[in-house]
Amino acid sequence: MTLPTSPEQKLRSLPAPARAAYQRFKDNGDPAALDEVIMAILADFIPRAQAGLLATATGESRLIEDLGFDSLAITEVVFFTEDLFGISIGNQELVQIRTLDELRQFVRKKISERPAA
Amino acid sequence: MPVITGLGFITSIGNDRAAVLRSLRELRHGFEPVRFFDNPNIAVKVAGTVKGFEFPTPSWRDWRWPERFTVDRELVRGLAPHGVYAVCAVEQALSDAGLTAAELAGGGTGLFCASAGSPLLMGHFMQQMNEARGERGNPLGIVSSIAGTLNFNLAAHYKISGAVCGFVSACASSSHALGYAMDEIRLGRQQRMLVVGAEDMTAESIVPFAGMRALSTNPDPATASRPFDRKRDGFVGTGGAVALIVESAELARARGAKPYAELVGWGQAGDGHSVAISHPEGAGLREAMRRTLADAGVAPGAVNYVNAHATSTPAGDRSEALALQAVFTAAGARPRISSTKALTGHGLSLAGAMEAAFCALAIREGFIPGAAHLTEPDAACDGLDLPRTSLDEAPALVLNNSSGFGGSNVCHLLRRAV
Repeated sequence: MTLPTSPEQKLRSLPAPARAAYQRFKDNGDPAALDEVIMAILADFIPRAQAGLLATATGESRLIEDLGFDSLAITEVVFFTEDLFGISIGNQELVQIRTLDELRQFVRKKISERPAA
Repeated sequence: MPVITGLGFITSIGNDRAAVLRSLRELRHGFEPVRFFDNPNIAVKVAGTVKGFEFPTPSWRDWRWPERFTVDRELVRGLAPHGVYAVCAVEQALSDAGLTAAELAGGGTGLFCASAGSPLLMGHFMQQMNEARGERGNPLGIVSSIAGTLNFNLAAHYKISGAVCGFVSACASSSHALGYAMDEIRLGRQQRMLVVGAEDMTAESIVPFAGMRALSTNPDPATASRPFDRKRDGFVGTGGAVALIVESAELARARGAKPYAELVGWGQAGDGHSVAISHPEGAGLREAMRRTLADAGVAPGAVNYVNAHATSTPAGDRSEALALQAVFTAAGARPRISSTKALTGHGLSLAGAMEAAFCALAIREGFIPGAAHLTEPDAACDGLDLPRTSLDEAPALVLNNSSGFGGSNVCHLLRRAV
């Protein structure tokens, strides 16, 4: 058994609704479905003591100051997201992402820039 | 004077003090048949398995541990399998010492750890990186897999702001950790030390020793590990974690903690001989024992029990037997001697801390663990007292031996607290 790196392997660790949302996004590019997947990834990596904060988070909520992520946990979110969507996020790009909305818009943009398979 | 006030065990012979005590008293081993790499051609068939834990893949999401232990999700992501064992052992040691996790913070407590890192995780992370030609790497790959992973994780988790360090001397590592922890207290630098030794129990951590021909190929769990026996043919690998709380006697007394034992001396000496083979006459270990006795100001004749390092390898056990002869027999002393690796297997970096904890348990509970699986002692053991069963004798002074690669030898002397 090796470490999960393919989207299919990564997906297995997300809850069923998030897996369904991922499929919807893949089928018809539904941006709301993509947001749902990103929220599931955040829920997976948020410190346990702060987990409840995600339910009331808004687009302006800051990942570090408001939701309790540290920079290491954000690198884990990014690593997971990169594998899941086949994108690559550079260090300079990463430091620009502060809020939930910025994260969602950034991932959307990155996916739209992917070279066609 | 440093004293031991808390113990925690995740071992092949039990995941709590009561189970370990029963195994030592009744000489119940912790071995099971294993099939490493799912390959029947591997000659090594037995290991000291750690029950109740599962690490079927290198992904933390697939890991399982006994329900009674809490290992937070944000913690486990940075841990190796032996880090999971370690958290479970530390929780026990804290509770045993009558401490809360919060009492480890604040600078009065230091943390010394020992493990070889995680060959399982390191191998997979490197494979992942190789496949991506260096373009991708797991963010927690380093802190979960390199030697030091234990101290990185435990220091952060328990908010330890005293001395924090890891020790790397292979099978003497956690003995070094305990020895230097004693010094931190004797020098007045710390009031309390948390000492943790741990190792993975995986094919990746054990099978490489087969390449050195150091592992037993005896498929019988009941006889594969038989230190000092003529028919011994190598060690049996194991993993797990043991945590010890070491405190100054003053602090222990002030908070009403009942010590298992006093740590009255330690010593170390190198063989200056071989990268992996012990000195043929056990020169370094002999000197380490003498230095330990001198550190405590104790004569060989005062020692009641020696927990030998003996791993069940032909060369190593013989060297240790000769060293024991030189220190004890030559001085007219005849302590009881056994190697509890006959029951646990060889825990590598874990071994020294695990066996120091066994010695503390023997002193507190008033017994001497027997030399399990020994039927025909090696000729080098002539005159050594190797009891075949555990004895209801309360040892007052106990010596714990450890030896690691490069001829690194470390001993501790434990005394019944008065």
